[in-house]
Amino acid sequence: MPSTRRIEVLAALALLLVGCPEEPQGPRYRGAGGEPQTGGTFVFHHESNLDSLDPHLGYNELATMASRLIYDGLLDYDHDAELVPSLAEAMPTISDGGRRFRFRLRQGVRFHPMPGYPQGRELTTADVRYSLMRLMSPGIASPGFPFFRTIEGADAYHAGERDDVPGIRVIDRYTIEFQLIEPDQTFLNAMAMTFSYPLPHEAVEHFGDEFGRNPVGTGPNVFVRWERGVQVEFRRFAGYWNAGPSPSRLIFLENLQRGVAAMRFRNGDLDAIHRQNTQDFLFFRQADAWHPTTEEFPLPSTWGIIMNTEIAPFDDVHVRRAVAYGIDREAWVRARSSRINAAGQLVPPNVWGYAEDLENEHHMDLARAREELALAGYPDGLPEEIELLTGDGDVSRIYGELFQSDMARIGIRVRLKQLAFATFLQQSGTRRMVQAHLSGWNMDFPDAASFFDPLFHSRAIADESSQNRAFYSNPELDALLDRARAETDRAARLQMYREAATILNDDAPWAFVFNPMLMEVWQPYVKGYRPHPVWSEDYRQVWLDLPRQRITDRLGGAE
Amino acid sequence: MDPRAWRRFKKNKGAVFGAVLVVVVCLLGLLGPFVAPHDPNEQYRDTLLHEDGIPVGSGEVDGFPLGGDTVGRDQLSRLLWGGRVSMQVAISATAIAVFLGLLIGVTSGYFGGAFDMAAMRGVDVVLSIPFLLLAITVQRVIRNPELWTLYLLLGFLSWTALARVTRAKTMQVRRLEYIQAAQALGMSTARILWRHVLPNVLGPAIVIGTTLVAQMILVESAMSYLGLGVQPPDASWGSMLKEGQEMLRASPGLMLFPSALIVTTVFGFNLMGEGLRDAFDPKD
Repeated sequence: MPSTRRIEVLAALALLLVGCPEEPQGPRYRGAGGEPQTGGTFVFHHESNLDSLDPHLGYNELATMASRLIYDGLLDYDHDAELVPSLAEAMPTISDGGRRFRFRLRQGVRFHPMPGYPQGRELTTADVRYSLMRLMSPGIASPGFPFFRTIEGADAYHAGERDDVPGIRVIDRYTIEFQLIEPDQTFLNAMAMTFSYPLPHEAVEHFGDEFGRNPVGTGPNVFVRWERGVQVEFRRFAGYWNAGPSPSRLIFLENLQRGVAAMRFRNGDLDAIHRQNTQDFLFFRQADAWHPTTEEFPLPSTWGIIMNTEIAPFDDVHVRRAVAYGIDREAWVRARSSRINAAGQLVPPNVWGYAEDLENEHHMDLARAREELALAGYPDGLPEEIELLTGDGDVSRIYGELFQSDMARIGIRVRLKQLAFATFLQQSGTRRMVQAHLSGWNMDFPDAASFFDPLFHSRAIADESSQNRAFYSNPELDALLDRARAETDRAARLQMYREAATILNDDAPWAFVFNPMLMEVWQPYVKGYRPHPVWSEDYRQVWLDLPRQRITDRLGGAE
Repeated sequence: MDPRAWRRFKKNKGAVFGAVLVVVVCLLGLLGPFVAPHDPNEQYRDTLLHEDGIPVGSGEVDGFPLGGDTVGRDQLSRLLWGGRVSMQVAISATAIAVFLGLLIGVTSGYFGGAFDMAAMRGVDVVLSIPFLLLAITVQRVIRNPELWTLYLLLGFLSWTALARVTRAKTMQVRRLEYIQAAQALGMSTARILWRHVLPNVLGPAIVIGTTLVAQMILVESAMSYLGLGVQPPDASWGSMLKEGQEMLRASPGLMLFPSALIVTTVFGFNLMGEGLRDAFDPKD
């Protein structure tokens, strides 16, 4: 019937012309204005999916976030990124020149209900020892092992050469001691990482390989169910040692794309969002009604161009420096709507160990870049095209194109290659495989060591899955980093990392480019939330001011 | 071409409109790069990006009538260059598909027997492969995918419809008296195929080829949209569509212009294709 068809076409055209109905500019709901209370359901999300809820296996931001819902560690960080006791009663006593750490456990901390213990049971030092032994055991292949390798006997146990770890000593039910083979200032940070979180051996043995899908911990929430790839449900743990007002149920949505998440959030179906595409980011930055519950802050992470120092042309320090001085960081910041800050050194400004006013900070200096290329023997630019590997997606492509354009100005032609993330990781971590790639590093703990050691110590070079992806090896830097790791005097340590930064910027295995920013937005009825400097999306302090009230004025814009 | 068909085509207003669109788009593709005001890959970061990173819109800056894209490249120049890529892929892939389709269709229709059997099962096999899935897999597996791999891939996957149609038509033609006469006169098989069979199946080939170009433009856009077409920083309409997506609300032009061009082109080719079909085959 042609007439209906014509009407359809007209309707479609009309819709195109008129555009979509106007969207509300502010939140749809506000809180009731009541006292802190327990109850309600908190709904949050992530754009990818969880692999496992086993804290000893997960090694990315999402896994860390999820682990912290269910588990606790002996130590934690406060909102100033300082270490504070958590399951430990107090900070440990340190002796033997920084080699021995004695912790005292908080009494009365209980595990969640588990098979055989419908009421849970008390956490003891035996659990702490069991969990660390599990983490270090050769069978589990935890990516967390390197953080604990200074414990006496850890290496041999991990290699399967012995079946105990003499460096972990249970003194009594609540006292445990760790003996290290050398002073290690990062050991306490390791004891705050999710890898150290204690698990009950009964549940691990009962579930076996399925423990990651049936997690049991001492944390604020009890795992309820997991619809793989869709959502995970938690309920509040009534027996939590540090219980405060909180939602009685948590729903974590997996695989929710940024654009969709922002729409659902603005509609009131999600309680917090933390990663936006550019237009949503700009919307929240400009929307006054959202300002009280929006926070924008730098992430403790550094991105750059990583050059493989073992293969041409980046085996030549002058070529590497040319790249470092050829990048127009300000233009990158602008093209990304100031969602990134320009960076000129490894450690981000908000992490301990950042070198103030570093003399050889990487920055754009085209004359210098051309000079360095000439020193490398290429006054007219590199004769061969180089290949830059990036991850998938639009943002990676934009960075790649910015880099291409920057390099063209100094005479380096760049071919881009975008790969799916798993392949990207595999190829860039393989020796002598990739000339250069664009990547970043998120800190494991708030200390310069968390940036230097895994990325630039020659110990971190491997033929496959290398963490030192520039394959940079410098005995002078290695020695300096080892000394810094052991140094107990904080000022002296800071000076050492400054020296390390100078060496690194001079050798330029990375061209440091930017530190990303993150924006978190939450609903007005979500109370007690503060972005955490160490943990991303840490919702432990959150409570819901219910019942939420519909906002009906023009600004909230619903009716 | 049959003069009657041409007359019928001319009378069909839609078809002529389609043909005009096609000519315009082809000219754009051919001449676009010469009239493009700027280098399509040059980033005018200060001129074409606002302080907050939003691209400058249409008519805001002199010399850049359509404004910039997300990294400050001239949108108009990219559209003009991108059209060339889209057309190049579509037409090359169609040429390959038409060549293969005619070759296989005509020979299997004419000779029949085991060869026909094998060829038609081959068609079934190719048809059973999910097109986009295979295309994505191949482009992913190739270490350095370039544009010509895309032509080949699309060409080799789209000859089947044409092969079937030409086969059926050839089987019809083969039984006609004049073919028998030619055979009786001792004409070589190659000559018979070339002089007497091919002209008869050319009509459907042109029709299918034309609509195939439209399809290929869509597929190229889809592939580029998925990041499997042109390699950055080069533009095609599909990749521009993808690049504009993040900024849809802030600068809708980034998606509007390439999508309008894609729609226009596809619309033009389809109209022309339908017109050609009516012209060649008045019985339908």
